[in-house]
Amino acid sequence: MNLFKQVRFALPFILFLFIVILLMRGLSLHPNQIPSPLMNKPAPTFSNDFKGHVTLLNVWATWCSACAEEHDFLLQLAREKEVILMGLNYKDNPKAAIRWLKQQGNPYQLVAYDPTGQIGIDWGVYGTPETFIIDKKGIIRYKQLGPLTQEVWEQTLKPLIQQLQNESL
Amino acid sequence: MIPELGHFAIILALCFSLVQIKTGVMQKTAAMGQCLFLVFAMACLMLSFLTNDMTLIYVREHSHSMLPLIYRIGAAWGGHEGSVLLWCLILSGWTVAFIVFSDAALSRSFFSKILKIMGCISAGFITFLLATSNPFKRDFPHTLITGNDLTPILQDPGLIFHPPMLYLGYVGFAIGFSFAIAALLEGKFDPTSARACRPWVILPWSFLSCGIVLGSWWAYRELGWGGWWFWDPVENASLLPWLSATALIHSLAVCEKRSAFIGWAILLAIITFSLSLLGTFLVRSGVLVSVHAFANDPSRGLFLLIYLAFIIGSALLLYGFRIHLFYRSHSFKLFSRETLLLINSVILLTAVATIVIGTLYPIILDALNKGKISVGEPYFNLVFVPIILPLLLLMGLAPHVNWHEHAFNKLWKKIKYTALISLVVGLLSPWVFGFPFYVSTGLGIAIGVWIILSTFQSRLELRHCAMVVAHLGIAITVLGIVVNKSYSQERQVKMLPGETVTLANYQFIFNSVEETQGPNYQSITAHFTVEKNHQAPQALSAEQRIYPHNQLLGKTGILWNPWRDLYLALGAPLSDGSWSVRLYYKPFVRWIWAGGFFLLFGGMLSLLRHYLKRRESSHESF
Amino acid sequence: MKKILFFLLLLPSIASAVQDYYHFDSLKEQNRFNALTSQLRCLVCQNQNLAESNAPLANDLRNQVYEKIQQGQSDQTIIDYLVARYGDFILYQPPMNVMTIGLWFGPFLLLILGLGGLIFYIKKRE
Repeated sequence: MNLFKQVRFALPFILFLFIVILLMRGLSLHPNQIPSPLMNKPAPTFSNDFKGHVTLLNVWATWCSACAEEHDFLLQLAREKEVILMGLNYKDNPKAAIRWLKQQGNPYQLVAYDPTGQIGIDWGVYGTPETFIIDKKGIIRYKQLGPLTQEVWEQTLKPLIQQLQNESL
Repeated sequence: MIPELGHFAIILALCFSLVQIKTGVMQKTAAMGQCLFLVFAMACLMLSFLTNDMTLIYVREHSHSMLPLIYRIGAAWGGHEGSVLLWCLILSGWTVAFIVFSDAALSRSFFSKILKIMGCISAGFITFLLATSNPFKRDFPHTLITGNDLTPILQDPGLIFHPPMLYLGYVGFAIGFSFAIAALLEGKFDPTSARACRPWVILPWSFLSCGIVLGSWWAYRELGWGGWWFWDPVENASLLPWLSATALIHSLAVCEKRSAFIGWAILLAIITFSLSLLGTFLVRSGVLVSVHAFANDPSRGLFLLIYLAFIIGSALLLYGFRIHLFYRSHSFKLFSRETLLLINSVILLTAVATIVIGTLYPIILDALNKGKISVGEPYFNLVFVPIILPLLLLMGLAPHVNWHEHAFNKLWKKIKYTALISLVVGLLSPWVFGFPFYVSTGLGIAIGVWIILSTFQSRLELRHCAMVVAHLGIAITVLGIVVNKSYSQERQVKMLPGETVTLANYQFIFNSVEETQGPNYQSITAHFTVEKNHQAPQALSAEQRIYPHNQLLGKTGILWNPWRDLYLALGAPLSDGSWSVRLYYKPFVRWIWAGGFFLLFGGMLSLLRHYLKRRESSHESF
Repeated sequence: MKKILFFLLLLPSIASAVQDYYHFDSLKEQNRFNALTSQLRCLVCQNQNLAESNAPLANDLRNQVYEKIQQGQSDQTIIDYLVARYGDFILYQPPMNVMTIGLWFGPFLLLILGLGGLIFYIKKRE
């Protein structure tokens, strides 16, 4: 059997091997997490509010059940005072939001209201909760999709925030 | 008690499948036993749903105490675990069917090898079921639970028929796969075996055609925007084996009649089932995003990947080492039916490769850290259509072309009038359907007509009835797609009760809005009357439903006849008291699915002929 | 039947001027809107385009596209606006660049190679 024939017969198996390797790699990816194009770009709104300190902007709503999950952790963060917490109330009824914060506790130093979702679009919000980390110059440095947990905080966010705190203005 | 029995039944089925792998007298019994216990397990699962046994986590997640009875049965396969059980059950069902109905002319050793391989596949998948996807997992909550409810979009008759049909299809290709492996192991695949194999490819192919069509119809009714195919990864997963199986059916015909293309048929049989397994993996592993996907779990994905790597990998390795035994010299000229049928395979496999490339490309780029892109409908429509077009043209040519050799000028004399008539019909189409004239539309209609005319022109003998019906089905679907895509009209409006909207010579009169209660939902129904040229009023209504846990679902209203659908979808109420309403005029949309049913019918005709021929030859042998 | 008659009697005699949900001054603008929304992805239900998604975000983004067309912005400006906020992923039709050459040309290349290889192979056997 000449070489050409051998290659021809081995081709299906080789192709298949490539596909399996690709899929193996694909198992560890997260296809539904969309990276933010705003990384390392200035914050699209509230730019003056961010200058001078490291801020966490948390996008939330009263109708979002996952936001309720992370609320306790946010309250804990607010107590620790490591970083400024700012809330963006997204596509919600502001009165209901205020009532909710009164009942459940308010971890935010500042809350912005975005009932139409226009500010959300400028920030590229597509699914609450989302949390942005903005540095002292007002540049967006990280976007967290999904609720904040102790684990996410310890592994990813806390080291980044400490690094940003050490950066000068 | 019942869930434990069901669980135990699955374990027994696994044991039987392992016995099936050993050759011997026990093989057939083992296969039957496996099927019996899987049927029992499914019955236990259904019973748990019927009795609202909320101690089963699976029932809790996919059912609700107020869910109507029929959907509680369908919910048995509405989630991942239950659908894996269905997969295993249908695989064992096919094994039993093969035992009962297979051609007696098939050699004993061949038959036994096939059962062995099916046993391996079963054993692997039942292990997957037990290890990662056990539907009988229980816990005992202290509080009263009503259940999370079956996703409202699944509460539709489509749930009862579409998944079982699909599974009957792509799980059934395991038999063809087993034929191929058995042939490789034995070192031969004679026309008798090819003839024995063909019905076991055609039958699943027919079911799959039906399943795909049912899925498309269901999506059309449920999703509210009049679309019927979205190139969603789950849809692609069902189309891939269908394309490959179509190539296989045609190649097997050549195996039978000319004793050629054997190696090619074997490869296609392996590829077809591999695509089924690949599809099963893709929709459950979380590797791709899809509106259809089951709850994605990478650990399940890993298990499935290892399983399919083993099955397909060993098959392709075996192919690589043994295929040279099947090299037969069969000569034919460049312009002959053999060539055209080979081109059929090349085009269909290119279509398969195209869909695989498009579906996997985002993963490739993501894995290389080159960012995330999305590949969807726009891409597939642009790329798939030009590739499939030559095949449609060939469909009109190939039935006229002889085996071995055909003179092109003789062919041209035969078909030139048919081709001309088709072109003329295509050109005249705007007079029927409306202006303006689009070249693509005219061409599309011409192709559909060309296939119909050409098929009738060539093959009016009874023995070709199956092919005629199946090819007609494709032509009908093509015509449906072309007309529907070109001449659909839609309007999205804000309406107050009492107002009328006109679309495509139909008047849609918004009468009233009503609140009603369903078995497990509250409904807001908008009642319309539809008239054509202010005559022949018909009622039409659309709903917005609220299910438990505040899940919303819109229910469309459709008035249909063979020529057009009038489609109504109710949107959200607006601040001024009016309602957002979407109206669609969809000509020829039913033709798209009618074609699929022709395929089913054609497949059944082919089986009937096969069965009659077998009876005939077994009578002769006496 | 009775119900229908009842409702027919309630009908006003003249069809009132019903407003389109999105009103366009010209067919060209309407086509632009349809083309744009069917080529942009809904990020919430990720395998649907903006035109056919029920998600609230899709509704918002459709409104955005509509308003921008009314303001006279070009297709490219609108696309740039959305890509700046949501990234390339919002483009439902993958871009044509160095990375996606395989995606766009691969299928056709395969077809040509496949058919060419087949013809070559058959001629060799003759």
